[in-house]
Amino acid sequence: MNCEVCQLKELEVEHFEIREVLRCILHTIVFHRALGLVRPKVIDLELFDITYVQCGDGELEKKIDEKIEQFISWVEKHPNKKSQVCISFYEVKNKHPSWFTNKTERLYWEQWYINLNVSQQQKVHSGKSHPSKIVVDPGDSLEERSARRAALETSLREVLFQIIKFVNEKKDHVPPISDGVVYFPYEVTIPSSSDSAFGMDMIKRMLQTGGHPTMLS
Amino acid sequence: MDLHGMAPHSESGKLEQVVSQFLLKSLHIILDSRIPSLHPRDPTCDSRVRKSDKWFNLVLGDRPAALDNLNFWHRNLMDPMIIDIILVQQGTAISTSVGNLLSGSPGRTATETVIERWLVQFESPPRGTASQPSEGSAASYKKTYKKSIIFLRSLYLQTRLLPAYRIFKQLSSSSQPFNFDIIYKVSSFSEPFSRVEEEMMKEYRFVPIEALPGRLHVSVTYRPQLSEFNLQPLTTMPPKIISDYVGSPATDPLRYFPSSYKGDRAISFPSKVMHSPTSVPFQRPHSWTSGFHKPVVNHHLAGSPTVYRTSQMSYDSPSPPMERMQNHRRPLHQRAPFYDECQLSPPFSPSVSPSTPTYLRNSESPRQTRAISETAPVTIPSPISGRSSRYISPNFSDPSKLSLPPLSPRSTRLDNSSNESPSGMRLIKKPEASRADLGSAGQKVLKDNKDDSGRFSGLLSSSDSPRVGFSRSSSKLSFQDDIDDCDFSCPFDVDDVDPPDSRISQNVDWKRNLESTSMGRKSQDAAVGVLVHMLRTAPPLRQDSSCYSSRSLRAEVENDGVATTASGFFMPRRTSDALEELRSYREMKDLLLSKSGTRVLTREPP
Repeated sequence: MNCEVCQLKELEVEHFEIREVLRCILHTIVFHRALGLVRPKVIDLELFDITYVQCGDGELEKKIDEKIEQFISWVEKHPNKKSQVCISFYEVKNKHPSWFTNKTERLYWEQWYINLNVSQQQKVHSGKSHPSKIVVDPGDSLEERSARRAALETSLREVLFQIIKFVNEKKDHVPPISDGVVYFPYEVTIPSSSDSAFGMDMIKRMLQTGGHPTMLS
Repeated sequence: MDLHGMAPHSESGKLEQVVSQFLLKSLHIILDSRIPSLHPRDPTCDSRVRKSDKWFNLVLGDRPAALDNLNFWHRNLMDPMIIDIILVQQGTAISTSVGNLLSGSPGRTATETVIERWLVQFESPPRGTASQPSEGSAASYKKTYKKSIIFLRSLYLQTRLLPAYRIFKQLSSSSQPFNFDIIYKVSSFSEPFSRVEEEMMKEYRFVPIEALPGRLHVSVTYRPQLSEFNLQPLTTMPPKIISDYVGSPATDPLRYFPSSYKGDRAISFPSKVMHSPTSVPFQRPHSWTSGFHKPVVNHHLAGSPTVYRTSQMSYDSPSPPMERMQNHRRPLHQRAPFYDECQLSPPFSPSVSPSTPTYLRNSESPRQTRAISETAPVTIPSPISGRSSRYISPNFSDPSKLSLPPLSPRSTRLDNSSNESPSGMRLIKKPEASRADLGSAGQKVLKDNKDDSGRFSGLLSSSDSPRVGFSRSSSKLSFQDDIDDCDFSCPFDVDDVDPPDSRISQNVDWKRNLESTSMGRKSQDAAVGVLVHMLRTAPPLRQDSSCYSSRSLRAEVENDGVATTASGFFMPRRTSDALEELRSYREMKDLLLSKSGTRVLTREPP
């Protein structure tokens, strides 16, 4: 089975926008891959004039929020860097069990790469950021900020259209739906803290995008 | 390929079922995100899963009734399903004529604009070229079904990303009426867009869904910009009682300075301020007479189905099997109670309206008070305070009591008060007497104020808030009409808001103070306090020069620690009162002369 990969358009976000942007994109992807019975839940973003759709599952929301918090923590430790969040859908295949091992293999059939460029922020607080807190960079003028916000809103909308287009173009690789199962197994991967893994990620990104590597500050 | 007539359990039958349900589900998704009246009020509270929800594993809730009719006219699955989302806008001019409003025919026009056109069609290959069902096609409807599930998810999101969703949100989230509405039309034929319209629209085509032997096509032509339409709420707003306005006791009780001043009463400004609130509910159509306006909306939009039907009949005729599905704005009916409620709102107006002047008065008064206090920062003797505060609170805590009562009760009250304590008006009259001494201007004012005295005094005693004046003849005359219409008070007017009792006590205190100025410091302070009060209740500076001279006189006397007569501004109601006041002034004068000597004599007003 092919593993379809979708590289979403890179978004330039500020620190306080990460949570909303990631929630929007991750839930949209999962909604399109939750082919069991779903009661959609419409969410209006606070920072942007965009509405997206969730599956209306509290557990799913919690899991995604946890991953987002982990990513934000990573970003705080590695500021001003391009980063990726990857959500992968897989099938579980049982390898032939042996005495000692009962391995299961994951066969990834789809991977989405969410590319974020978190801009430098003079953070007022440290530690966990609260959803309601908005960190303001005093160096920017109001016009610059609103222009950046508008550009991000447009880009985010484009990313959502990109998702819609991708899910409609590529359907053959989607596994059959099992009865009683709502979601395909998925995995959200955030950049690792280790340097080697990060270096590998960088190389991967270079190969995929063909662009220049980000200089570490 | 005709899918009809096949056994439901055959492949074709199943495919037909899938296609049919696909059309219904698509229509449901689109209408759910475009037509407020069809949108469930609170979808989260409905947890049951209907049979229709299980189709494509997407729980949408109750299907609109219109969808039930779909099967009747959409007999042939090959016919396209065209869903037009139409923006209906009211005409421009809002008539203020009640007759027009109630008749519902103000000459307004409604403009319809198709802002979105969805096309959902099952396209099968032409006859003869269709391939026979192959072995693999046994599961083809299942693949079609799975792909349809994914597609409908994306359709659900897509409808919420397009511009029309914003105005749907506007309509459905707000309870106030707007100058526009959204209706829909489902048909299998539609009038093509004009060239101009086409240029203004964009098209988005979804990837076709394989539904062997055919394909399902879905596309949307939409207006990318809706800002050109002036979409806004209607101007009629239901009345809203603001209980925590600035200056209300709830928000800022400290502003009243309750202990000392009469001066912190509202000094309402010119007539318009006082005048307008009482007349607003009944004259201004756009305040809370939403009942006037809303029937227009209601009526107009209620009539819209007829209008739209007739307008759409023109392109309905070519295809008889087509059934037109329309909605008029159901909220019209649902909102009728809302309109009725609004019509009930005017009873609030008498209580609401005075809050405006009260607010203004309150906002005025601190300034006034401050201005006065800056000149003489001395507290007035306490006997006044208790009574003052008593009269302050009812006004500001209960807006309903701010509505000024009619004339007669006040007059009666006045008479009572005057009977009880003729001397209570002495303080009022004394300034008048001194003014008479000052000259003809004073006399003129006297005359003018006589006419209005009852009203003014009564006004003050009832409301205690405005400071009624007598001060200026010309300005007073200019307010006559307003006075006739409503109770009005001028700034810088004499503050006789204290009840007669307090006046009596005040007068007595004042007299006592005068007599005992030589007694010591305590009396001197009291005298100063009285003087301050007189200063506060002094006529405006733009009074004739006699005002200034009297002020300077007071200043001089103050320096000497002796209270003097204040410039007059209260209006005696009777000659006997005036004479009494004059007598008291003479006494004061004598007293002062005896105390101050020649210095006062030289400064006597002309």
